[in-house]
Amino acid sequence: MRSRISENELLKRAFQEVYFAKERDDAGESWQFQVMRRVRQARPLRSATVFWPAFENVVWRLAPVCCLLGLLLAVLFMNMDLDPGYDYLGTVAAEMEKPTLPELYGLEG
Amino acid sequence: MQNHSHTPTDADIIREILDGNVNAFESILTRHRVLVLKIVTKHVPQSEVEETAQDAFVRAYLSLPTFAGKSDFSQWLSSIAVRTCYDYWRKAYRSREIPMSAITDKHQHWLEEVLSAEAEDSRREGSLRSEAKELLEYALAKLSAEDRMVLEMVYLEGLSVKEAAELLGWSTANVKVRSFRSRRKLEKLLRGMKQQGRRAS
Repeated sequence: MRSRISENELLKRAFQEVYFAKERDDAGESWQFQVMRRVRQARPLRSATVFWPAFENVVWRLAPVCCLLGLLLAVLFMNMDLDPGYDYLGTVAAEMEKPTLPELYGLEG
Repeated sequence: MQNHSHTPTDADIIREILDGNVNAFESILTRHRVLVLKIVTKHVPQSEVEETAQDAFVRAYLSLPTFAGKSDFSQWLSSIAVRTCYDYWRKAYRSREIPMSAITDKHQHWLEEVLSAEAEDSRREGSLRSEAKELLEYALAKLSAEDRMVLEMVYLEGLSVKEAAELLGWSTANVKVRSFRSRRKLEKLLRGMKQQGRRAS
């Protein structure tokens, strides 16, 4: 079986050495100033617990609109003829009223 | 009269920030900047460290309401720093702005030397460190952002799969798969380099 190059102890150690050798001095004061400026410019924080009151606010603001919409839909449905059985009977009755061919030419009776 | 002055804890400062005192965040910054800069330095190119560390702190500030205080704040902040580095690489790979060092004969020679028996002496020489650095950067640049982060954390830093998963916010299964895949890619790259060097000589 071929030995793995990446598992070679010396190579791995050499890579780890250069990886951890990336030293850096602490950033200067101007860096901290820039971070704080960005933080102050960011949107104001909203605590997680503030979510529900905010949600309730939206719900109550929308409540009258929902009620009005509900009423409107109720009136609309009441005025619509939505009984399929009644519709079917109406069609059959209309069909029966149509004259047959002998009736049309006065050949019957 | 007793003096009850005490240093406020991270939790105290966070509470103050959440109550609307933005300036209190400066204390968090002063306390933890070294930690964040240390993490970011390991993962992103030198020229991008300051900007990425800034991004990490701004992200931490915006995420403060979600910090439940159940875990250690440093741990939580480290996780944000690592994820910001990961985002940096994702953006860099997407815009194809990856610094790619060229591999030359000297790198292949160095690799051959390290893999040979007498490598111990040559490895100690500081002058050869640049070859190792460039070779590692070349290999990492060939990986995806995900594979790169996992390889750095598990293979180079020696973190456990669980630790890496917690910092990256991924599942352990995902990190395990990524770790296996990235190591296989690294192996393939190194083997290719070794063969090229042999052919050239």
